[in-house]
Amino acid sequence: MSFTESEERQALRKAVAELGRKYGHEYTLKAARSGGHTTELWNEAGELGYLGVSVPEEFGGGGGGIGDLAAVCEELGATGTGLLQMVVSPAICATIIARFGTPEQKSRWLPGFADGTLRMAFAITEPDAGSNAHRLTTTARRVGDGWVLNGRKVYISCVDESQSVMVVGRTEDAKTGKLKPALFVVPTDAPGFEFQRIEMDVIAPDSQFQVFIDDVHLPAEALVGSEDAALMQLFAGLNPERIMASAYAVGMGRFALDKAVEYAKTRTVWKEPIGAHQAVAHPLAKAKVELELAKLMTQKAAALYDSGDDMAAGEAANMAKYAAGEAVVNAVDAAVQTHGGNGLASEYGLGALVAASRLTRIAPVSREMILNFVAQFSLGLPKSY
Amino acid sequence: MPNIVVLVKQVPDTYSERRLSDSDHTLDRDSADAVLDEINERAVEEALLIKEAQGGEVTVLSVGPDRATEAIRKALSMGADKAVHVSDPALHGSCVIQTSKVIAAAVGKVDGVDLVIAGNEATDGRSGAVPAILAELLGYPQLTHARKVVIEGTTIKVTRETDEGLTHLEASLPAVVSVGEKINEPRYPSFKGIMAAKKKPVETLTVADLGIDAGEVGLASATSTVVEAAPKPPRAAGQKVEDEGDGGAKIAEYLVGQKLI
Repeated sequence: MSFTESEERQALRKAVAELGRKYGHEYTLKAARSGGHTTELWNEAGELGYLGVSVPEEFGGGGGGIGDLAAVCEELGATGTGLLQMVVSPAICATIIARFGTPEQKSRWLPGFADGTLRMAFAITEPDAGSNAHRLTTTARRVGDGWVLNGRKVYISCVDESQSVMVVGRTEDAKTGKLKPALFVVPTDAPGFEFQRIEMDVIAPDSQFQVFIDDVHLPAEALVGSEDAALMQLFAGLNPERIMASAYAVGMGRFALDKAVEYAKTRTVWKEPIGAHQAVAHPLAKAKVELELAKLMTQKAAALYDSGDDMAAGEAANMAKYAAGEAVVNAVDAAVQTHGGNGLASEYGLGALVAASRLTRIAPVSREMILNFVAQFSLGLPKSY
Repeated sequence: MPNIVVLVKQVPDTYSERRLSDSDHTLDRDSADAVLDEINERAVEEALLIKEAQGGEVTVLSVGPDRATEAIRKALSMGADKAVHVSDPALHGSCVIQTSKVIAAAVGKVDGVDLVIAGNEATDGRSGAVPAILAELLGYPQLTHARKVVIEGTTIKVTRETDEGLTHLEASLPAVVSVGEKINEPRYPSFKGIMAAKKKPVETLTVADLGIDAGEVGLASATSTVVEAAPKPPRAAGQKVEDEGDGGAKIAEYLVGQKLI
C-alpha cells in the first residue's frame, strides 16, 4: 500500500494548479456575480486534456482513472476556480458511456468528453421523489423503433451549458414495482424539452434547473447501452459522482483554509499576528486535519473504483463524500471567522463560499442518506424506510 | 529541421523564502520548493514553437542535483523529446565559468546541435552570464535577451531587448540564444504530455563522463565565492509626503529619483 501518488499524478496536480492560478478566484467570482459562466477555463482545461483524463485513450482521452479526474477537480477547487460540471459530465456521463455504451455511442460521444467540447448534464432527481430513486416517474414509452419520454426533473446542474442531458427514467412496462431504470441521452434543444433556471442564493458560476420533458421523441440509440443494464450503469456512474463531489469539496476547503492561514499570518492587531492566538489557530488546524482525512478517503475510494471493486468503492465513496462535506463547511466557517468582518466582505470572496460549501453537505447525496447507507450497509442496522 | 538544445535549471520557487546555507554560503536547496525556472519554461516554449513550425528535435539539458529531474520532467511534459542531466556531487558550489564549461561539454554530447536556447538569467544566481560564456566556449555567435526569434534556413534573426532599447541581430547557425520575459507565454503540460514524459529518455552524466576532472569544478576551485551573506532587512516604512499644495511635484521628484519616470 502506498500513500504517495504517482509522479504523473503529482505532475498533473501541479500543472492543473498553475492553470487554476492563472484564472484565479476573482475570475470565478466575477462570472458568478454577473450571472456568467467560467467557459474559458472549462475550454482551456479541456484542450489540455485535464477534463478527459479518465476517458479511454482509444477515444482521445488520457487513459487514466477517476483518481486522476478527482485530482484535477480538487486542484482547480484549491485555486478558487472549481468546475462544478466536472462532477457530472466527465465523471458520471462519460464513465457510464465508456463502460456500458454501445460501440456507436462510444465513438459518438467519448471524443467530446476527452477534450471537453461535449458537456452533458445528468438528470435523476424529481420533485416528488427526492432521494427516493424508486419513485422516479419519468417514463419512456416505445413508439416504433424509438422512444417517447415524459417527466419532470429538478435541481439539474448546468443544463444551459450542456448540449445534452443524460436522463434517468424508467421504461413503461416497469412502471410499478421495483425500480428498473433506463438511461437516455436527450439533446437540450429537442422539441418538448424545456428547462427553467431555479433562483438560488448561492454565488456560483453554474446554475440549477427544473427540466420539463413533454413527449420528447428519441431515436432507439438514445437509450444508453442495453435496457436491462441501467441499474449497473447507475452504480457505475454514481460512485464517481461521489468521489468527484468529495474532491470538489476538499478543493474548496483547501482554498478557504489557505486564505485564512495567509490572513492569520499577516494580520496583526496586538503584538503578534492573530495566527499566534490559539483561538484562531486551532480551528484552522482542525480544518486542516479534517480536509486531509477527507482527501485520504477520497483517494481510497478512487483507488478502489479504479481497481474495479465497485462495491468497496461505494462504501468508501459515501464516507468520503460525508467527510468532505463536513470538512469544507467547517473550513469555510473557520476561514470566515478568522477574517472577522472581512470574512463576509465581498472583496475577500469568502462569503460567497458559505452557501456554496453548505451545498456540498446536501448534494449530490445528503449527509443523512449517507448515514442511512452506512447504518444499513456497513453496520447491518435495520432499515427505517 | 533544427536540432535544439534548451538549457533548463531547477531553482527555488520565488514564492518561498530563499536562503543560503550557513556552512558555505551556497544555495540552501532544501529550504524552499524547487521548480523549473520560469524563464526556462519560455526557453522550452520557444524551442517547441520552432520545432512545431520546422520540425527537428528538442533536447533539454540541465546541470543540477538528482532532484533536478523534476524540472527536467516538466520540460519533457511540455513536449521536449529527450534530456541530458549532468549530476555530480563534485559540482556543488560551481561558479558560472565552471558551470558553463560543463554545459559546453554536455552540449558536445548531443549530435549536430544547431541552436542552444537559454533563459537570459536564472532567478536564483542572477548572474545572467552563462549564455555568453557558453557561446564563447562553443565558438558560437551569441544572441542574447531575445524577445523574438526567427529561423530561416541556416540564418537566425533575433530582436534583442534591453534597457537601452531594441537591437536587431542576425547570425549563422549554430548559435546560442537567450530569451527574455517577453518572448512568449509558456504552455501548460497536457495530461498526455505528462504521461509521455516518463517514457522519454533522460541520459544522466557525471563530470567524468564529460571528460572533465572533478578538481576543475566545485566550490574549492571556483572563480567566485560568496564571502558573506545577510538576510534581507525587513521592509522599512515608506516615505510620507505631506501635501502642502506641491504634493504632485514631490511625488514626481521621488519617482525621478528612483528612475521610474
